[in-house]
Amino acid sequence: MLAVGGEPETGFDPVMGWGRYGNPLFQATLLRHDDDLALEGDLATSWDLSEDRLTWRITLRDDARFSDGTALTAEDVAFTFNTARDAGGLADLSVLEIARAISPFEVELYLREPRITFVSHLVSLGIVPAATYGDGYARGPVGAGPFRLVEWREGEQLVVEPNPYWHGGDIPFARVSFVFGGEETDLSLARTGAAHLVAVPPAQADMAPAGMRVLNVETVDNRGLMFPMVPDEGRATDAGHPIGNDVTADPAIRRAVNVALDREALVALALAGHGRPAYGPVDGLPWDNPEAHLPGGDADAAGAILEAAGWQDADGDGIRELGDLTAEFTIVYPASDSTRQALALGAAQQLQAIGIAAEPSGRSWDEIEAMLHSNVVVFGWGAHDPLEVYSLYHSSNAGQGWVNTGYYANTTVDAHLEAAEAAPGFEASLPHWQAAQWDGATGFGARGDAAWVWMVNLEHSYWVSDCLDTGASQVHPHGHGFPITWNLQDWRWTCE
Amino acid sequence: MTETAFDGTDMTGAGRTPRGAVRRQLRRRGAVTIGLLAAVLAVPLLPLDPLSVDPFARGLPPAFAFPFGTDLLGRDVLARTLAALAVSAQVGLAAAAVSTAIALAFAVAATFSQTADRIVGVLTELALGLPHFVLVLMVAYAAGGGMTGVILGVALTHWPRLSRVLRHEAQTVAAADYVRISRALGRSRGWIARHHMVPHLLPQLVAGFVLIFPHAILHEAGLSFIGLGIEPHLPSIGIMLADSLRGLMAGHWWVALFPGLGLVLLALAFEMFGETLRRAADPREGVA
Repeated sequence: MLAVGGEPETGFDPVMGWGRYGNPLFQATLLRHDDDLALEGDLATSWDLSEDRLTWRITLRDDARFSDGTALTAEDVAFTFNTARDAGGLADLSVLEIARAISPFEVELYLREPRITFVSHLVSLGIVPAATYGDGYARGPVGAGPFRLVEWREGEQLVVEPNPYWHGGDIPFARVSFVFGGEETDLSLARTGAAHLVAVPPAQADMAPAGMRVLNVETVDNRGLMFPMVPDEGRATDAGHPIGNDVTADPAIRRAVNVALDREALVALALAGHGRPAYGPVDGLPWDNPEAHLPGGDADAAGAILEAAGWQDADGDGIRELGDLTAEFTIVYPASDSTRQALALGAAQQLQAIGIAAEPSGRSWDEIEAMLHSNVVVFGWGAHDPLEVYSLYHSSNAGQGWVNTGYYANTTVDAHLEAAEAAPGFEASLPHWQAAQWDGATGFGARGDAAWVWMVNLEHSYWVSDCLDTGASQVHPHGHGFPITWNLQDWRWTCE
Repeated sequence: MTETAFDGTDMTGAGRTPRGAVRRQLRRRGAVTIGLLAAVLAVPLLPLDPLSVDPFARGLPPAFAFPFGTDLLGRDVLARTLAALAVSAQVGLAAAAVSTAIALAFAVAATFSQTADRIVGVLTELALGLPHFVLVLMVAYAAGGGMTGVILGVALTHWPRLSRVLRHEAQTVAAADYVRISRALGRSRGWIARHHMVPHLLPQLVAGFVLIFPHAILHEAGLSFIGLGIEPHLPSIGIMLADSLRGLMAGHWWVALFPGLGLVLLALAFEMFGETLRRAADPREGVA
């Protein structure tokens, strides 16, 4: 039994976003990442991008079968990509012109324009069967992945068993159960010995009960504060959610927050040391630009930034003002997440020292959805490829879903991001991704527009039964889905 | 068949105490309880910061610097316990006041006519027939949770027993000769309610208020414990007890003991004071 959270609200349909960080459990993907994050074929035996970077040609293995026993062919791949393009789910394939099967085991994907990050869809988009896909698929998925669904009681439990038709070989578990009970329930299950692997908040990581060991996995999973970038001009979304915040729309406020926050202290407070400071959304990854970062923990420098912008404590109450504005905002965190709560509290306390009144507020995700365009929110991201950077910072995504919720827009940054996507290869794209963060004059990073303040990069911490061998570790992406199960098929039970 | 009061206690007079002793007990317990309440309500005036986190003081056991120790975020458990009790007291006072007001309004309204009496009777029985905590949960959830949700949840569910007692008393007063004379003299219903009903009902009303208070603070703790109360970073006994589950795993007994003890003491003080008040207000009590 596993208690690793990550239950998808919309079910297990890759077309709607299930498995967008890879390894969708029930479905096979064209490519996958190995434990060094290098690309390797899953369904694909070969994959090539044309000279004009507009056509992917992919050859499939001929022995892949769905869990209902039917063969997986190029028609299924083409159907999946075309359906995902039209569905408008979290898997954004709008750049795809069309996918066509050119033989039973060869498929071509035609793009509207060169898009270097398109390869991430080959890694993340699980293939669904064209013949049976339809309403209800998300709750009864049929795929060619290593497992098939036995039962899913939403909010309680998911039971899976090996897919007997899987092309990867035998799996040594008859059944695997995932329980969804929240942090407290998961910890209790571990202590009673009922669960064999439990995701635990970093602050509790070192308190593993007898019979379990601590497994800390390196990640690119980060946490930061998203700033609303536009002033409150009375605008609202179609759903009536207000847009804009006059205080955070001031770049001096955002830059001062970036300079003020002591990330080391936040790592100690919220992660009990199980993580590292974050200064950008992609720290340490090949497309990171350290030049865009500002060192934190400097309250004096932060105060100077605010002073220079006219934010002063005229009435002596410890909080700065600028005209009629007071330097105050709410930091919204999901009430069910103790790590984000700790980060909100720690950040708010540090900001008090520079004359900014940040009020933490714990809300449900439904409430946060109504507040995220006008309030500072503790969000988390982190992926194995730079597509997420495009999603978070390109102006075309302003107000779209959960990505650019602050309505960030900078035409120069847009141009850098578009140049990165149009680059002839991954290596050639790197300078453009880096320039989007800071090009010497502007960028979305802290030195530029400071659209976010990134705070910490987490380790994912688990308590694992001493009898369970989870094999090789992979650097984890953000926690949605079940990143720890990327190699579930290779796990072994070592006790009698 | 035993007759029970709004808090479920026996009203048959078993175990009577002389009235002088009841009065002495009332003064003593009243002083303790009111003193305790005043002290708790004054906590926000103290230079304590129940929200202050400290990454370098996480999970410290009780010592001179932190007499109640610290929690996993380095927060002072003493400061949080006192602040949480202040929150409990505020919730308790507000919920008990609203609940008592509802009970009084229904009791007085029931004397206006037989129809009004029947309506109040049906409403009271209906509220009493529903599972108690489930009703609190539903009201708190419908009100959006938070402190307002907790206050409304408790206030809208704790009036029936008190209302039943007050209604009985009000009907007795309404049938009294002096009230009939007032009516014959042309006094209005409002005048009679103000000058005859309320003064007569006041002792039961005060006892009812005091006895609802501990229920209110226990419910606040319960609702906050399951996440329907105030926000999870704010000081509340229920939140502290919920958080303490993690601390207990690490052997941090102090994060559960002190807030739990504070809640029990506050609830117990009000429970004992309320019970003494009820006995003092009961004319059948202590007849030697």
